[in-house]
Amino acid sequence: MQPGTTISLHMSNVETIPGKVLVNSLGLVTGSTVRAKNIGKDIFAGLKNIVGGELKAYTELLNESRNEALQRMMLQAHSMGANAIVNVRFATSNVAAGASELFCYGTAVIVE
Amino acid sequence: MSSVGVGIIIALVSVVGVFLFPTLSWALGRWYQGRLVRALNEQEKRTGNMLQSEHYLSTSSSMNAIGANGSTLLHVSICVGPSMGQMFFMWFKSLVGGRLASYDTVLDFGRREVLLRLKKQADDFGCSAIENIRIETSVISFAKNQKSKTSSVEFLAFATGIRQ
Repeated sequence: MQPGTTISLHMSNVETIPGKVLVNSLGLVTGSTVRAKNIGKDIFAGLKNIVGGELKAYTELLNESRNEALQRMMLQAHSMGANAIVNVRFATSNVAAGASELFCYGTAVIVE
Repeated sequence: MSSVGVGIIIALVSVVGVFLFPTLSWALGRWYQGRLVRALNEQEKRTGNMLQSEHYLSTSSSMNAIGANGSTLLHVSICVGPSMGQMFFMWFKSLVGGRLASYDTVLDFGRREVLLRLKKQADDFGCSAIENIRIETSVISFAKNQKSKTSSVEFLAFATGIRQ
């Protein structure tokens, strides 16, 4: 697998993949990424904080990061030979001031 | 006598100076967030029945999806925060406790908006049902100083979208 390649597996946050038959379970897969804001986005978000509401810069940043965490989890599942991940969960935590960790985990399975 | 007058003027100016920016920010925030909420109300009315299935929203994982053609993981997140002025006056409010109206508004807005976006995403993927919806809330501290720690809250909604 080349680094930077995007892959796409079946994913769901229920016990099965709806419409498919679960054949084999391969165990836990995880993916995480730690992100810090960049200063441009922070200044903009600071200005936005004058009126409040949605902070679009942060929304985008977190979305990007979460997709990357998912991508890492899918890579791990792919290298185990799985073609689907069930029971996907997300967790967000503050690891340091100015940085937060986005973490996702699930069970790698083979479906037909 | 005049020195007392000058003292009073200086005190007044400094009080006004301290409260001017938060008041401005509070008023702007009220106006802006009111607009957001009104827009959201409109959108909810319009797109409330966007998905045409009867059981399209569910927090359970029991499959009404028998006969499903395919599924996809949906996830949407949104970052919201109250305005600086609201946070400033909230500090005074928290001396007596009780309901914090500014946080109420902002968090309610965020949660409704994230559900609406989840529905939109499901629609984009061609899903007719959304199963096992989970909404998570977390405090995002991208700010370096402790003071503005709760300046933004993230709502994450994730679910399994089902094509029937």
